[in-house]
Amino acid sequence: MTMKTALLAGVAIALGASGALAADKIPVGHLADYSGATSDVGQPFGQGVADALAYINANGGINGKAMAVETVDYSYQAPRAISQYKKWSGGSDKVAAIQGWGTADTEALTGFVAKDEIPYYSGSYAGALTDPTGGSGHSKGAPYNFFYGPSYSDALRAMLLWAKDDWAKKGGAGKPKYVHMGANHPYPNAPKEAGESLAKELGFDVLPAVQFALTPGDYTAQCLTLKESGANYAYLGNTAGSNISVLKACQTVGATVQFLGNVWGMDENAMKAAGSAASGVIFPVRTGAIWGGDAPGMKLVQAISKISDASGNAYRPVHYVTGICSAFYMKEAMEWADKNGGVTGPNIRKGMYQKKDWVPAGLEGVCDPSSWTDKDHRGTLTVHLYKANVSGDTGASVADLVKSGTIKLEKAATVDVPRKPEWLGW
Amino acid sequence: MTTTSMIPCGDFKTRYATDTTIFPTATSRNFAILGIVLLAVAPAFLDRYWLNLLIQIGYLGIAALGLNILVGFTGQISIGHSAFFGFGAFASAWINNRFGIPVALAIPLAGVLTTAVGMIFGVPAARLKGLYLAIATLAAQYILQDFFARANWFTGGVAGTIAEPFSLFGFVFDTDGRYFYVVLFYMVVMYLLATNLMRTRDGRALVAVRDHYLSAEMMGINLTKYRTMSFGISAFYAGIGGALYAHYLQFVSVEGFTILFSIQFLGMIIIGGLGSIMGSLMGTAFMVLLPELMQASTDLLSGTAVDRMLNLKDSIAFLREMAIGVVIILFLVFEPDGLAHRWKQIKAYWKLYPFSH
Repeated sequence: MTMKTALLAGVAIALGASGALAADKIPVGHLADYSGATSDVGQPFGQGVADALAYINANGGINGKAMAVETVDYSYQAPRAISQYKKWSGGSDKVAAIQGWGTADTEALTGFVAKDEIPYYSGSYAGALTDPTGGSGHSKGAPYNFFYGPSYSDALRAMLLWAKDDWAKKGGAGKPKYVHMGANHPYPNAPKEAGESLAKELGFDVLPAVQFALTPGDYTAQCLTLKESGANYAYLGNTAGSNISVLKACQTVGATVQFLGNVWGMDENAMKAAGSAASGVIFPVRTGAIWGGDAPGMKLVQAISKISDASGNAYRPVHYVTGICSAFYMKEAMEWADKNGGVTGPNIRKGMYQKKDWVPAGLEGVCDPSSWTDKDHRGTLTVHLYKANVSGDTGASVADLVKSGTIKLEKAATVDVPRKPEWLGW
Repeated sequence: MTTTSMIPCGDFKTRYATDTTIFPTATSRNFAILGIVLLAVAPAFLDRYWLNLLIQIGYLGIAALGLNILVGFTGQISIGHSAFFGFGAFASAWINNRFGIPVALAIPLAGVLTTAVGMIFGVPAARLKGLYLAIATLAAQYILQDFFARANWFTGGVAGTIAEPFSLFGFVFDTDGRYFYVVLFYMVVMYLLATNLMRTRDGRALVAVRDHYLSAEMMGINLTKYRTMSFGISAFYAGIGGALYAHYLQFVSVEGFTILFSIQFLGMIIIGGLGSIMGSLMGTAFMVLLPELMQASTDLLSGTAVDRMLNLKDSIAFLREMAIGVVIILFLVFEPDGLAHRWKQIKAYWKLYPFSH
């Protein structure tokens, strides 16, 4: 009977899936978006994390103990992330830590991971996640949330500090005009207030925010608004897809604005897609070196890359390298935990607090020195600003375009944002 | 005939009451009770993952039932159901946070608030039909979504809002095992309510509006009243479902309530069976479990010989999404009346076995 076969197959699958994790390994969950709304950047970041974890396992693991990593693509759907989390956090094979991803799911899980004491390393850098105690008054407190890199707000602060210098350097007269652009959604809006308030403080004229959807579309109207308002600096709060549309539309209408991207809003793939429209965009990069750079840690990055690309020829965008850092901070915290009472959630969290200005071994020059304390989860406040430079036709592959120099990431500045207590959690 | 539970051949009903009974036989009633009892002991045997899926089926099932009352029973259309679901979630959190009203009371109150909002958006429904109404409800979706993002006082704006866990007399239902009972309670109550509604004069009026609005009007049914009322009831169910969702996750964010989610609700009731109470629940279970099943099967596939041979690697994720789509299409082609209809056929098969007629 076909019905019977189908039922049996279903039961077999369910049984197989539940017994997948071996008992003697350290269970680690990895939530990635490979097929959902943010897969353009979720793919390279997730690949970086997955490759790094596989590399660690292949090279001694956590003090000789292997991790049982389960990578799950949740398609950027928060309910699916939550049921996956329940799977990981319940039962005897409870995960020791999770490498996560998006804003909605990270925020939805914040309360759960705090209660279950599972360190959660996310790809969401919302300022609210940096306050472990809730003492700043900006959020409820996220004691088990970590991420590698500056928060969205701090990255924007760095760009504004750069913009102020840039305005003076260019000899601009009067007050420069700043505008926040993006969808009316948690992710683009996360740094809005922080940015606008600092902009005012720095003497910018803050214009009313301009909205555009998270999806690619025709944003000519927004660009005309931008042109008429005479904005000088505009923050692009969305992910690459819709930012590309805005850049192209603004190029068409001739709005000469200095665009400031965000960490997920610009990368090599977006530069290829936007072509010359992307030229000149300033955006934050979380690592000290990018693919092809000569930092000592790049050797390890290249070795890790071979996990999923044996030929060693693949070009890895900035997000891939960041994913590696995210995985390696977790690895070293786990090693400390292993030596100090066992690899459990609370011990890994303590492990994160052990060192100051710390770079995972082997990744010197790649991951920026970071420190976390039980009162402040702003790992790093160093922001490397790069300028996108596209100098020709972008028909070829990213690897070829970078090789030929058509696509170039030029270092514009490194800004150290001050660690002000009033900026914690905001 | 060995038992009395079987309905004898022919229609021997002599009173309307027996004609509109919820359970036609004692066996079906006993099975329903047994089902609930089994569910009630489930937390002792199931782990958090399975409980989470059951809880999801619970709160989504309540909201889907609301949509089925509107679409399946009244013949109206709504593609803004997730906005009402979201409104209920925010409303319950707001009532609890702002006024300190206990969550146990905030949930039904959120349902009432959502009803009011649903009625307002239901006003065009009194005049519009079909595609026009669909577009009007689409507007509701966008207006409410924008409202969620802007109304800081109500939703916490785009940063979202915290929802406290459900508690009763100091006992906090903050684990899956405990919260499961809250959802189970609401589900049983809401499904019984809907079943009974359909047996009343008002419920039959809704069905009459669906079947032929002109005849219904000639029979003296106030079309405006019943169409708007249907929107209200549907919103009430969505509100309760949303409130249960909010206090389960303990965090509500505007991001969750998109048009795609609304379409998913439509998918649930179409797959389950339009105009079927039980179908609403079956369709919800199908939509919740299918991605999990596909995930499990793609997990099995990854790293195997098949994966290496076809070089699937990165495509496995997309394979899953595609398979979900394909299964839904196949369903619509081969089972247009939904799971509830198939279930009836299975029952009929066993009743008539070994004679097929």
